[in-house]
Amino acid sequence: MNYRVIPLGLLAGLFFLSAWLVPAQTALAGDVKLEVYLIWGTDVAKSPDDKHKPVDNELLEKLKKLPLKWKHYFEVNRKPVTLVGSDPSKVTLSDKCKVEIKHTGKSTIEVSLFGKGEPVVKGTQTLPKGETLFLAGNAPDSTSWLVAIKRVE
Amino acid sequence: MNYEEQLKLQSFLDGELPEGDAREVAAWVARDKQAAGLLAELRHTREAVAGSDQAVRLPESREFYWSKIQREIARLEPAGTREARAFSLWDYLRRLAVPATALALVAIAGFVANRGLTGGGGTGVTEFSVSVGEALTYRDYAAGATLVWLSYPADNEVAQNSSSATLP
Repeated sequence: MNYRVIPLGLLAGLFFLSAWLVPAQTALAGDVKLEVYLIWGTDVAKSPDDKHKPVDNELLEKLKKLPLKWKHYFEVNRKPVTLVGSDPSKVTLSDKCKVEIKHTGKSTIEVSLFGKGEPVVKGTQTLPKGETLFLAGNAPDSTSWLVAIKRVE
Repeated sequence: MNYEEQLKLQSFLDGELPEGDAREVAAWVARDKQAAGLLAELRHTREAVAGSDQAVRLPESREFYWSKIQREIARLEPAGTREARAFSLWDYLRRLAVPATALALVAIAGFVANRGLTGGGGTGVTEFSVSVGEALTYRDYAAGATLVWLSYPADNEVAQNSSSATLP
């Protein structure tokens, strides 16, 4: 057995161990910063509502890679959210659309979507930094609604 | 003259040959000048070397003398080894190396497994349950995006914004 190789393996192992343990602890202890969007998907190039603006390029690139048929996406509302500890955070995106988000540890969040005050969907999702969760469905006139939750930090 | 014949001459000179062989070699030396010359050279060499060696007389028997040396080695060796090991951090680390490496490998395996579960490696765990209708999940690993498509009735859409005429 080559004993000179073993300390290198040991150091590498300790490195990975620390890389594993430290982020896990900081993720539990630190805040989770999110951007929550309400998006309208349509084939119309210009939204009738001047308050709507096209979604940013980063979000658009992600939307283009999803199996969605719409050509244009407009940002209806955007709310920054910071999850502290395991306290849930409620976000009102429209009169009838609300989202409740809770950090459940490491990179996992729990999301509850409410429509007209009634629960629509609830679930958990691992959401590392830079990743985005889209909850979406059909809207009248062959359009769509999307709630995007992007992990910023 | 080959090598075997040379050795035979050396044995003849040392008196190690049986009587019959010794007679044959003596006859051979008598008729062969080359053999006689080599035998004379060997004899001269032995005489020259024999005078240079001085015999050492031991005060006790050979066995007792060597047993004394052996006992002295045995007496000194454990103490010397203990002293060397007391100051050898390398030996200490070397003994720890095997279990520590095994632990490190387990940690690496745990790290890889954990990263896989938490999405650090690009994978994600999605678990959603819907109250109305059904949900389909699609994940694009390269884009870092997960889509949960809900068959929520369009008439009951959740995205209605009172300030917008476009969103129902």
